[in-house]
Amino acid sequence: MHDPSPWAIEAEDLGKQYRRRWALQECSFRLPAGRVCAMVGPNGAGKSTFLNIAARLVEPSAGTLRMCGVPVSNPAVLKRVAYLAQNKPLYPRFTVAETLRLGRELNPRWDQAVAERIVRSGNVPLDARVGTLSGGQRTRVAFAVAFGKRPELLLLDEPMSDLDPLARDELSGLLMAEVAEHGTTVLMSSHMLAEVEEMCDYLLVMAGGRLRMAGPTEALVPAHMLVTGRAVDDRVPAELTERHTIVESRVSGRQFSALIRPEGPLPTHSGAPGDTPWDAMPPSLEEILLACMRSPDAPALIMDEALKETAA
Amino acid sequence: MSTATTTPEAGTVAGTASGPLRGTVWLVWRRHRAALLTGILVTLAACALFSYQRIGLMEYLGTKTAGLDSSGDDFRIRFGGTFEADIQFLEAVPLIVAAFLGAPLISSELERGTLQLVTTQSVSRSRWLASTLAVPLTLVAACTLLLSLVFRWLWLPGHELIVGGDWLNSGPFDATGPVLVAKTLFLTACGIALGKLIKRMIPAMVATAFTVVVVNVIWSDKVRPKLGTLHNLTYPINGESPGVPRGAIQMDDWVATADGRLFGFSTCVGDAKPEACRASKGIVNHVTQYYNFDQMPGMQWLGAGILLALTALVLAFVVWRATRRPL
Repeated sequence: MHDPSPWAIEAEDLGKQYRRRWALQECSFRLPAGRVCAMVGPNGAGKSTFLNIAARLVEPSAGTLRMCGVPVSNPAVLKRVAYLAQNKPLYPRFTVAETLRLGRELNPRWDQAVAERIVRSGNVPLDARVGTLSGGQRTRVAFAVAFGKRPELLLLDEPMSDLDPLARDELSGLLMAEVAEHGTTVLMSSHMLAEVEEMCDYLLVMAGGRLRMAGPTEALVPAHMLVTGRAVDDRVPAELTERHTIVESRVSGRQFSALIRPEGPLPTHSGAPGDTPWDAMPPSLEEILLACMRSPDAPALIMDEALKETAA
Repeated sequence: MSTATTTPEAGTVAGTASGPLRGTVWLVWRRHRAALLTGILVTLAACALFSYQRIGLMEYLGTKTAGLDSSGDDFRIRFGGTFEADIQFLEAVPLIVAAFLGAPLISSELERGTLQLVTTQSVSRSRWLASTLAVPLTLVAACTLLLSLVFRWLWLPGHELIVGGDWLNSGPFDATGPVLVAKTLFLTACGIALGKLIKRMIPAMVATAFTVVVVNVIWSDKVRPKLGTLHNLTYPINGESPGVPRGAIQMDDWVATADGRLFGFSTCVGDAKPEACRASKGIVNHVTQYYNFDQMPGMQWLGAGILLALTALVLAFVVWRATRRPL
């Protein structure tokens, strides 16, 4: 039908301005097709703004965005992209079958079998009205509409936020199974760091309307090091701050601890006489994400793979 | 409850069972099914009632043809309440449709977020918008057209007696012909636009009801009396009025000079010497201005034309807003 683009998302200098405030600015990254990508960040970081631009609900004020090779300005992009809003809007008076029919009537590539399988595997009766379903069942129906569309890219805004732990577990299992089966690329925004670690192999970290970090999870973690040791003059030793990128540092008493991105071989101690060697250990993904979100002024880390070729 | 083998079949049947409607038209029909079906049923019931009432009316008129003029009081006793109720119902139709179908049309989708569901599917937003506007408005036009035609059919044989023959101000003008259709469409379009702007259902309904009241006042005070060219009935100031033609609506009375200059009816009445006052102004005639009954269709079409043009403007505004800004 078309040449599949190797990039599910290509954003270049994407920005959105509301009145005088930029909700999103200078957002540039690429997401390779086939990845399950999490977009994390505190409230107001620009996650929903980005997803709304991608779903054509909001017009960007600056920059370009291509999804599966199609620019977002082209309405045809919605044939390849499915979007699930945070509150999973469905018509409460429609039955489940009618909700699936909505998907069928509005999408030329609709796959009824996939949608029905998803609904049925959760024992959701097809003749039940959507308004009578539980939160987990509603989310399942919304997933069915999204997957029935056979999208190449699935955009999920906080998909699990309003679910109880049981439903969350059930639906993330469903999501991962469907994604694996169809090779769908997923971009989901999330607050839940544990969920991110478990499901996603690609990360976008946002804070203050900017992209702070982008890249595959397996490359992001080794790029960081958690160093603790004795503070010099109540500061993080200069040997670290001068040569390496400090994401976040803390000094308590005579001890410092810093999350750094080593730019070369890491010195083992300050070199001051009588100093004990520093402790360097690989941080957990959660520690990196928290540090990144807490320090919006730290330099951004965009891994090579996520950069545009021209820039790389 | 059901076995594993029957469930998929039942599901497929439920999923594919469908009428002739497709795509966004199906969606809009399904979404407003309850309201639209109610509207259709009420229309049919009202038409049946009007037809039934016509049987009674024709029977009565058949026996009274000879003394039609003197039967005014008798007619009022027998049919006054019936026609009052009919006209009240028809005058309420624009308000009900505008507030309960027009105002929630887009605002409820905005309020519940379902707009994000439908506008992120593969069909374009403009196609969805076109169906969302076209399906309800077409049905509204069809139902009001039927209502106005059947009511006109009921009203026409007795028009000189019904509501005292006052076709202009007492209801028949707004309840028959193209006016009912145009007025309902215009007010519904206003409701849709208000819903689009206010984005919340209940406030939009309240604002729409308020708009309907304002439009009705402007319509009956400023627009409706000016839709035709008035006829003048001139007779000497001291003479007896020859009376306006049958079925005509008397609009205003004047006194006038011989060459047709009009003065207010009470000119010189309070004067000490009215005769001298009149003579000094040259007033010699009484003038009665009226609309002939045969002017009614022309005036109705002019009024309906104005309303339909405004409807088109309001709908163009809705489409412009919806496509210029993301909904």
